[in-house]
Amino acid sequence: MAEQAEDQEQDVSNGAATGPVMDAPGGGASAPEEPEESPELDGVAINAGGKSVEIGNFRVFLDLRMPEFDMGHCKAYSADNLRREEGSAFALVTDPVLPTRHDHLTFLAGMHMAGQIDLIDYETAYWPPIGRKTMVLFYEKPAGGKVVAREHKKLAIDEHDIATVVVEPLMNAMQAFSEKGLAHRNIRADNLFFADPMREKVVLGDCASGPPGYDQPAVYETTARMSADPAGRGSGNATDDFYALGMTLAELGIGRQPLKKLNDQEIIELKLAKGSFQAIASHEKLPLVLIEPVRGLLCDDPEERWGLAELNAWLDGRRTKPVQANTEKRAARSQNLAGRDYYTVRSLAQGIAKNWVTALGPLRDSTVEVWLRRGLGDNDRAKALSDAMRQLQWAGTDKRSAEDVLVARSILILDPAGPIRFKGFSSMVDGLGFMLSYDVQHGKGPQRFADVIVRDIPSFWFGRQMGYSPEVQRQQQLYKNLRYYIQQQSAGYGYERCLYATVRNQHCLSPLVEEEYVVEIADLLPALEKAAETASEESWPVDRHIAAFIAARLEDDVEGQLLAMQNPSDEVEYSRAIISMLAIVQWRHGPDNLQNLSHWVARLMEPAIKVFHSKARRERVETEIPKLAKRGNLVELYNLINDEQERRKDQSEFVEAVAEYSEAESEVFDLESSGPARMELAEKVGQQAAAFASTMIALLTVSALFLMHIF
Amino acid sequence: MAKGKRVGTKKGGRSAFSGLSVIASAVLLFMVALPTFITLTVGLLPSLVAFIFDRSAGRTMARCVFGLNFSGVAPYILEVWMQPSQTVGGATQAVFQPLALSIMYGAAGLGWLLYLAMPPIVANVLNLAAQRRVSELRKKQRGLIKTWGDSLIKEVDRSGN
Repeated sequence: MAEQAEDQEQDVSNGAATGPVMDAPGGGASAPEEPEESPELDGVAINAGGKSVEIGNFRVFLDLRMPEFDMGHCKAYSADNLRREEGSAFALVTDPVLPTRHDHLTFLAGMHMAGQIDLIDYETAYWPPIGRKTMVLFYEKPAGGKVVAREHKKLAIDEHDIATVVVEPLMNAMQAFSEKGLAHRNIRADNLFFADPMREKVVLGDCASGPPGYDQPAVYETTARMSADPAGRGSGNATDDFYALGMTLAELGIGRQPLKKLNDQEIIELKLAKGSFQAIASHEKLPLVLIEPVRGLLCDDPEERWGLAELNAWLDGRRTKPVQANTEKRAARSQNLAGRDYYTVRSLAQGIAKNWVTALGPLRDSTVEVWLRRGLGDNDRAKALSDAMRQLQWAGTDKRSAEDVLVARSILILDPAGPIRFKGFSSMVDGLGFMLSYDVQHGKGPQRFADVIVRDIPSFWFGRQMGYSPEVQRQQQLYKNLRYYIQQQSAGYGYERCLYATVRNQHCLSPLVEEEYVVEIADLLPALEKAAETASEESWPVDRHIAAFIAARLEDDVEGQLLAMQNPSDEVEYSRAIISMLAIVQWRHGPDNLQNLSHWVARLMEPAIKVFHSKARRERVETEIPKLAKRGNLVELYNLINDEQERRKDQSEFVEAVAEYSEAESEVFDLESSGPARMELAEKVGQQAAAFASTMIALLTVSALFLMHIF
Repeated sequence: MAKGKRVGTKKGGRSAFSGLSVIASAVLLFMVALPTFITLTVGLLPSLVAFIFDRSAGRTMARCVFGLNFSGVAPYILEVWMQPSQTVGGATQAVFQPLALSIMYGAAGLGWLLYLAMPPIVANVLNLAAQRRVSELRKKQRGLIKTWGDSLIKEVDRSGN
């Protein structure tokens, strides 16, 4: 037990040393004390079986590490299924700073598929060793163990049995994935397990715990994707899986990972220079029986690469069409860059990406263009390069940026199937989201992604793609949205929106709820409810991340609210928009009672109350708010300040009052400023009145005298 | 300009006509009833002076003086008319008595005082009415502020700007 505990401690603390560029789970965030030192961790039960946590229907034993079932960057722990007696399970704890694959989880959960390890369930749960929540995947333990055991040098499968033990079940799994429009992207010998104790069939291991291809060694990636950063290798398609299958067969045949002695850069250069199959064949001794499928599966041209039909034909012993191992055209003379000679366009593209600054010279003085025309006879690429350079001349004041764009475009002209490379950033178009997620959660920030999008490099990539592909069309549409989001500065847009729009299982990165690992919108408000307990009075419950998360995940359109949030200085509209967003989320996804959050929102409702002009109405709302906050219903709180009829009435009455006040003010001004005019009028009227009175007196006197004389 | 000239001519013509008719009446009165003419001429001397010197539009001052002046002269006219034989001597004797002159000229003076006193009285009345209206309006504004708060003032200022 002590050994196991030590193993666990080492595995957690040394996490950074494992995997391609793997950080410790938690993204290097300061984790609380190790469970060994802190026996009072939340939810950790200590019993006879050791420390354990209950997660959903499973009890996971923290002390019982299962290193043989570690999959890529994820650690495996022993787990008991509390609902089912038969079968045995293990828990695979994902790294919270690497997003999982939503489509794969929903496709595989609860489903049995030949050739794929059974994913029983998955849960988001608090994981004591890292002191925060993360996603835990529960797999059925394969009865036969791992195919490539670390301690055994000799493989457990005879090369003649590889077809039935490995290829057949894997073909079945790949077909199922392909029918769903998905790619496994984690096919490698290290990720194979024997499904049965007799070791007659293998199953593929996990493929959902991290970004696609993230755990793959560079040698398992196609020439198009291998030069991308591990997190940006992209979702890919079935042809990428077939390539990985080819390399798996090669590893199983050779008995160790091909080109193991070379580092990633050397592998990339070798594969680009010779082609994948030649690179392997020239360095490793492949069994005769596997040469044909490995050659077919490692074909660098995806159109020519073997698929299910060719593999079936091979299994049946039929001959298949011959495949040209290396379709890359080699130049008659080399192009030198930074002291190295390049003979193919792809290797030159990689060379330019690695020598970003020095590559500008040969590009600007047309050396590369001349090389393309004369060395390769590739006039189309030469013309495209010439056009790109002409655009540089039109660049305005930002010459530096235009030069960077020229280099990025030149790379895409030379290697249109490859990743987008921009000053150290390297990602496939279908891997942009995962790459952004990786950058943001590993301290690199969103700037590299934003630079690529703002400079519109992906548009050039789309323009360089030949033929029609629905997948490319879909990506193009998605990219248009990303460009729009990144150009908007306000909350709910920016890189945050890009992140949640492209990575479905990206948890919300708001500091308020990050440790709660909120992946689903339904979990957002409970997490905020928890955050509300310790939230400062001035802070708002919706920040840029939460706004973007809601906008990307909520079924309802919240563009109106986001529009209102564009101007934080307009406190009334800003607070109304925030309360409205949260109320819609509660209305859609519950829970019904959110007392802490309601009190938090109530504290911030002061500006929203200003929506009413009438003091009496405001006082009524102010009295109602605490009552409704006690009930924990945000919808009622929102309705209180958003009674449209009452608001309209208040508004129209206010407009009338303003008019009335203004009229009165104007009349007062007139009265106060009309003194001299009034005096003039008084004089005139007074004189006339005096004249009239005098005349009347005369008439009365004469009349009286007459009357006196008569009577 | 031509129109103005025409209008001026018409006004001047009416004034001249009015003056001529007064002179004609005076000549007629002189010829027909000399005692009455003497009484009127002596008694209405202040009005005559007022009509000569008052050049204001409408000649309100002259009208004012004339009204009360005539009220003072009327009893003496009646007295002249009541005598069986209207003689110049009788009329002259009656008119030039100090009391009669005092009454007639005093009445004219009262008319002039009325003319002086009336405008300030009217001005005071108008000022009082204006003050009362201002206070009513201020009261109404205070009521509106009480109902709508400071936002009303802000909105008025905003819309004013």
